[in-house]
Amino acid sequence: MSDDIHVRALRKVFRQKGSGVPVVAIDRLDFTVRRGEVVAIVGKTGCGKSTFFNILIGLEKPTEGAIEIDGRTPYGDFDHFRGRIGIVFQQDRLLPWRSLLDNVTLGLEVIGLPPAEQRSRAERWLHRLGLDGFLRAYPGELSGGMRQRAALARAFAVNPSILLADEAFGHLDEVTARQIRGQFFEMVRSEGKTAILVTHQLEEAIDTADRLLVFGRPARLLADVGVTAWPPAEVPALRTRVQDVIETNQPDPAIAAKEPS
Amino acid sequence: MTEPSAARHSEAVEAVEVARTGRWPKETIVSLAAFFVLWHLASMMLPPFVAPSWARIGQSLADILARPEFIAVTVARVAAALLVSFVLGMTLAMAMYRWNAVERYLMPFVKLLMAVPVLCWILFAVLWFRNREVRIAFILVVVCAPIFVIDLLDGMHGVSKDLRDMVRALRPSARQFFAKLILPATVPAILTSWKVNLSLAIRVVTMAELVGATSGIGYALLMANETFSVAEVFAWTVVLVVILMLANIAVTRLERRLLVWRE
Repeated sequence: MSDDIHVRALRKVFRQKGSGVPVVAIDRLDFTVRRGEVVAIVGKTGCGKSTFFNILIGLEKPTEGAIEIDGRTPYGDFDHFRGRIGIVFQQDRLLPWRSLLDNVTLGLEVIGLPPAEQRSRAERWLHRLGLDGFLRAYPGELSGGMRQRAALARAFAVNPSILLADEAFGHLDEVTARQIRGQFFEMVRSEGKTAILVTHQLEEAIDTADRLLVFGRPARLLADVGVTAWPPAEVPALRTRVQDVIETNQPDPAIAAKEPS
Repeated sequence: MTEPSAARHSEAVEAVEVARTGRWPKETIVSLAAFFVLWHLASMMLPPFVAPSWARIGQSLADILARPEFIAVTVARVAAALLVSFVLGMTLAMAMYRWNAVERYLMPFVKLLMAVPVLCWILFAVLWFRNREVRIAFILVVVCAPIFVIDLLDGMHGVSKDLRDMVRALRPSARQFFAKLILPATVPAILTSWKVNLSLAIRVVTMAELVGATSGIGYALLMANETFSVAEVFAWTVVLVVILMLANIAVTRLERRLLVWRE
């Protein structure tokens, strides 16, 4: 199993509910994310990032094209991808009637682990994220940062090979966001996961990812940038160039030229 | 807020207060005491078949409690019918939630059932069934089950899309999806529906027992009416109110236990 994510000629068109007028959310996307890569997808709000994310996690199907992992599509092979893709959403989406511990065991219950194993894994991840003292607390009793850390624990506990984060830190205050983002990427790298971070915050993307995929509106690839190929001194320039690409909604071949092979 | 729901809300608030503290709120004690005094004054001025004294009512209550079989029969009928109605309501709500077509075809029928007055159901039951217990059970179930269906289905449809997407992204089986998300998320709606149906069932069973039954509180009320025993009618009314209040307190306590995460 390679776990590479192949996105091929992906296109998604919605029909407006009232008028039936077609709206192109994804124009065309072609790229591959290699196993172990940490990739950030950036673009303006409404550029189809979340639609792409929803197709990738299997909640929606593309109109044309495909996303393939091991030759299977995540929206077609429902059972095959159980426990293989971990997701962190913008809001924590913890179940309010479950304690933190039970929220983290949710994914483990779905994949059918024995209860003792569920509990020990959940405790391990909550401990790693500094939430040992809150195993029996309900989400409503905790701060936004603590809840988001529990959501990270829920995503990592199933031991997925691919981790996806959709604007996962954007709603937190800057200090908390930086802290939790740091924990997320530390865990991604130490566990050797493939990660795709969807964000509209360019700073966050450049600081954390190995590679930037810049989406235009509607979604198409404007730039595919290997961040690590850029020397630290040139990163501010890269930021400005990517910002320009996003603003103008036009590709910049000069950035792509620095892409690592 | 419509009037019935406002009344239900105030009943619920009072029941919560009683369940929490084990005491009645001050306002309730004052209004009950005022009623007690006014009735007492009325009983001194009016003939006993209009307003019997508290002593007579107390005597009737003592007689009733000395032979509680009719109370037990009515409570058993209500409990059994509500259980059947709940199981039926839950099953139909689950099927309607799971399959859109089932909801589209079944919902008009459920609404039709709800539109039929209780009195008509009583007449139909008398016409259709010879067995008295079947008649009473039929009336209770046909009145209560549609309310369970509507309330539970509303609760299921009310689960937020965010939570549904989150759980779906974990790729559960249909059974897991229901057991781990939809059912627990519907618990508040289930409890509210039980409260509504308890109150309704107590009133409906009394009416159903008035027609053709030979036991139960409704039958006892009919007998008391035929002998012009207002004190006994009043005493049975007190019994009905107390049963309903106790049932509401029990559900409220269960609610506090199951919904502790909301506090």
